[in-house]
Amino acid sequence: MDHNDGEHKDHKDMDRNEAEGNERASREMADFEGLLREAMQRQEAPLGLKQRVLAGARERRRAEQRPWWKVHLVQRIAASLVVVAIVGGFAVYQQGERRAEEQRKGEQAREQVMTAFRITNRTLGRVNARLAESSR
Amino acid sequence: MGETLNWQPDFEQLVGEHQSMVFSLAWRMTGDRGLAEEIAQDVLLELDRHLPHLGSANHARYWLRQAALHRSIDALRRRRRNAASLGTDVWDELEELHGVVEMDRESPLGVRLEQLIAALPDAQRAAIVLRYQEEMTPDEIAIMVRAPVATVKSNLQRGLKQLRARAEQTLKEFVRGS
Repeated sequence: MDHNDGEHKDHKDMDRNEAEGNERASREMADFEGLLREAMQRQEAPLGLKQRVLAGARERRRAEQRPWWKVHLVQRIAASLVVVAIVGGFAVYQQGERRAEEQRKGEQAREQVMTAFRITNRTLGRVNARLAESSR
Repeated sequence: MGETLNWQPDFEQLVGEHQSMVFSLAWRMTGDRGLAEEIAQDVLLELDRHLPHLGSANHARYWLRQAALHRSIDALRRRRRNAASLGTDVWDELEELHGVVEMDRESPLGVRLEQLIAALPDAQRAAIVLRYQEEMTPDEIAIMVRAPVATVKSNLQRGLKQLRARAEQTLKEFVRGS
């Protein structure tokens, strides 16, 4: 009976020690979690962050409200100027080509007329010479 | 439901209310103050675009936390890829950054904890930051990181165990030193 009582007491002590150990471990963990929470308080946002965000949002809204034809106006004007320059340059080039062609054709026609004159002149010269011979 | 229907969001007020949360989350996740500031600015500007799709103040807070977390993880991945291509160790760099930024804080243990958190693997760090900075439950964290609750709990336990072991070491060194 005494032996059983002693064994029972040992078991009780072991259980109590284990419970105390568990309790201590969970208390230590809770303490550590408290420490962690304290260390992990939110940091202050950098100065000016809010102002930069609000300015960015305002700019985005302004851009969205702008009529489509005003969006990127500078780029549109630049692109239009480039297109006008290309088209204008091509038109000037074509006009020059046309003028040169006309000039060439004019030259050819003049050459032909001059050749015809020369032939006529020569023929008339020969006719004149024969007439002069026959009248002599 | 009533809150959802009657919610009239004020962007300026939302930014003022949540900027420190978004910035802190990004900073603790990346360990880089400059990068965290960039992420916070992008996330808050994105909020302005998303505002019409958010139905309540809680929804906005949830959206901000999720956006800040995912942007931070993306930024870390990009940085790791760059570091790998350059042959440098990102964690050494992170530790250095935390060390420099936090030197003027009052508690040396707090500083050390920040450094230890920065050195945890991404999933554990995200779980710890959301749990102890944002006071979210494991269920809420699981929804946010799209992982099973059991995985989140396991990440929390492992992270805590590592932190505690290393923090105790620091505490002993600190006590011996003082």
